[in-house]
Amino acid sequence: MINFHPSTQQLDDFVAGNCEPTLALMISAHADMCSHCMAKCQQLQNIQSVGAMSDVPTDHGPDFSAMMARIVQMPSAPGLTTLSAKQASIELDGKQFVLPRALRPYVKKTGDWSRLVGKLWQAPVDMGDLGRANFIYMEKGGKVPEHTHMGTEITLVIDGQYSDGMAHYDCGDLTVLDGQHKHLPHSEADEGCLVFSIVDKPLFFTAGIARLLNPFSNLFFK
Amino acid sequence: MLVGIPLESTTNYTAKPIDCADEMSVHLTDIANSRSQKAFAEVFSYFAPRLRSYALKQMGNEALAMELVQDTMANVWQKSHLFDAEKGSPSTWIFTIARNIRFDLLRKQRNRKEDICADDLWPVLCEQTADVNEVALDHQVTLDEINIMFTRLPDKQQQVIEAIYLEGKSQQEVADEMNIPLGTVKSRTRLALQRLKEMLDE
Repeated sequence: MINFHPSTQQLDDFVAGNCEPTLALMISAHADMCSHCMAKCQQLQNIQSVGAMSDVPTDHGPDFSAMMARIVQMPSAPGLTTLSAKQASIELDGKQFVLPRALRPYVKKTGDWSRLVGKLWQAPVDMGDLGRANFIYMEKGGKVPEHTHMGTEITLVIDGQYSDGMAHYDCGDLTVLDGQHKHLPHSEADEGCLVFSIVDKPLFFTAGIARLLNPFSNLFFK
Repeated sequence: MLVGIPLESTTNYTAKPIDCADEMSVHLTDIANSRSQKAFAEVFSYFAPRLRSYALKQMGNEALAMELVQDTMANVWQKSHLFDAEKGSPSTWIFTIARNIRFDLLRKQRNRKEDICADDLWPVLCEQTADVNEVALDHQVTLDEINIMFTRLPDKQQQVIEAIYLEGKSQQEVADEMNIPLGTVKSRTRLALQRLKEMLDE
């Protein structure tokens, strides 16, 4: 069951097209998995459109007739995008994971899986100027060493469950963490856990021998 | 934040719904069915000035605002068959098209690489939006099939597979519980997986 949703304010910004692109992407993917937030977005869209379209301009404005004449010369419906053309899942070790619609454009930009310490797998995703993203798979019993964030970490659970010492997260849960949070993600789910995570700065490991990793932390989850 | 302007909706929360929704729906259907320029003129003259006013508020630039009006109304003309009155009013549909175009315009203006686009975030103008469910259905069929195959395994193999793959026990735990040698658990697992693979290949 999904327990971690974007706030109403975040959904409102998302629907208006005003939230940061990375958060927008994650909210869009979350809404694909969460009928509750999908319905809420529809509602907000209705409300916002009334506000945005009810504003009758006071000035006369420009003459639109040339624009209209140009438009009606255009042919019908060119360049329609069909969703199904995009690859819908990623594979690790023979397991197929179906991705929410919003993440499908990134399948082609996902690099190879590499195995990390602690039963962890990571596949980097090239997000261009948006930040650094990874698919991270924790096998049952897999752990990410305790860390905090110098920037913001946005994580969406795509399959399975994990916990991090603060809460338990299920499929579809969306979390936004920053430097105030210190956590130790680990999965005890039989099927392990696949998450999609975007960070804008490297992690900062806070405990035990993992602190030795800090000088190299940009090698992890970058 | 892409723009520093507060959302209109927070102030206009109680704004009256647009009362010409039914009329505009009919016009959109006429455009879709018969490319009616007359119907388009009605939609255009109602929405173009409102879109310009929305765009001016959001982007504060006359040239960009007119680009947004043009692109939005061109989409309405070209893709009116994608409008579905069941899903929302014409003004909601047109607002979402404008919102998408504004998002892409602002990113283009900031010289961002094409790494994210509005249609992926808000699939407003897609032929089909139901494929998430279709995939789930395919997945379901496969699970059903696996379930049938599973019941075709000999009982002893079923027990071992169930304990290991559904209950997540280790092979040693299964051996202890069933009071059989570890080697037997291993061979039953191997035979069962081999049999399942054969059934999948059939």
